[in-house]
Amino acid sequence: MCDVCGCDLKPEHTHDSKVIEVHESLLAANTAMAVKNRAHIEKMGAIAINMISSPGSGKTTLLEKTIEALGDTIRIGVIEGDIETDRDAQRIRAKGVPVIQLTTGGACHLDAAQIHKGLHLLEKEEGGAKLDILFIENVGNLVCPATFDLGEHHRLVLVSVPEGPDKPAKYPKAFHSSQVFIISKTDLLPYFDFPVEEAKAEALQLNPNLLVMDLSATSGEGFDQWLDYLRELHRKRL
Amino acid sequence: MHEMSLVQGLLTQLKDLAIEHNKSKVISVSMEIGPLSGVVIDSFQFGFDILAKDEPLTKDAKLIIESPPAIYRCFGCGMEIEAVVRPESCPDCSETLFTPEGGDGLILRQVEME
Repeated sequence: MCDVCGCDLKPEHTHDSKVIEVHESLLAANTAMAVKNRAHIEKMGAIAINMISSPGSGKTTLLEKTIEALGDTIRIGVIEGDIETDRDAQRIRAKGVPVIQLTTGGACHLDAAQIHKGLHLLEKEEGGAKLDILFIENVGNLVCPATFDLGEHHRLVLVSVPEGPDKPAKYPKAFHSSQVFIISKTDLLPYFDFPVEEAKAEALQLNPNLLVMDLSATSGEGFDQWLDYLRELHRKRL
Repeated sequence: MHEMSLVQGLLTQLKDLAIEHNKSKVISVSMEIGPLSGVVIDSFQFGFDILAKDEPLTKDAKLIIESPPAIYRCFGCGMEIEAVVRPESCPDCSETLFTPEGGDGLILRQVEME
């Protein structure tokens, strides 16, 4: 115990020291950048959706099918986040919309500073300066991306049928912080034990305000609800 | 393991504070990490232990972490329940849906330096 003040700090504690009151979030720098990104995205005319899921849950396929369905009426742009490769961006580019690939070189999530850079790159792409909906496909990871605001307007969390229905309970942060929850690959329901209603109820327990949908991008089942949600977002923005 | 990059951000902030206040040694760092912050406290502590000892400024620094509870607002009757883990059901109206509020802080509260 310290003889001077009776506190229980270790002996290296001296009274030449100074306590600095900071009371600032460690994410303050990221959040400040996210606020700027949001303003930048709005200036481009767009609403941004940050897509979070495990690897392989069908984010890119959902985007491909969405562009096929809405690309003629709604201007869509995409920022792809991956650890390595521009394969996802190539798939999206083949659909004829402006896209850029961010590679994090090992980092498990996108942050607001990367999106800031991404927005400037996207504006240089043909048709990338004026958009209606900007999709940000985050690095495949249901944990870390949930902590970082990118400047999106809506956050979407995806779980595919083969992953199993226990993801909301195991990865609560992604579900607390999202507005939309999609159960994808429902065409595989005959082959997996995935009680859809139970998974939905569990997600709603974590976040009663979630909009929940189940769909298959390949069979098209349930896809209209997703497209209606996007049309409604776009209509509200106009 | 985004805790590692968050610790790196913390160490950068400590360096800036040391320069600003003309100090050369961090004695203790007080953090608030809420149960809904998405940060695993053990991983954050582990990252701090590894990265802080590489710098003369922070090599003896002690990390103090507090994790205050979140507030869960009942979706049925609006009752507010303070808890670290989400309640099973509302004691008043048995509703099982709750909207969490707070508990997501990842806050650098105080730094003691000399």
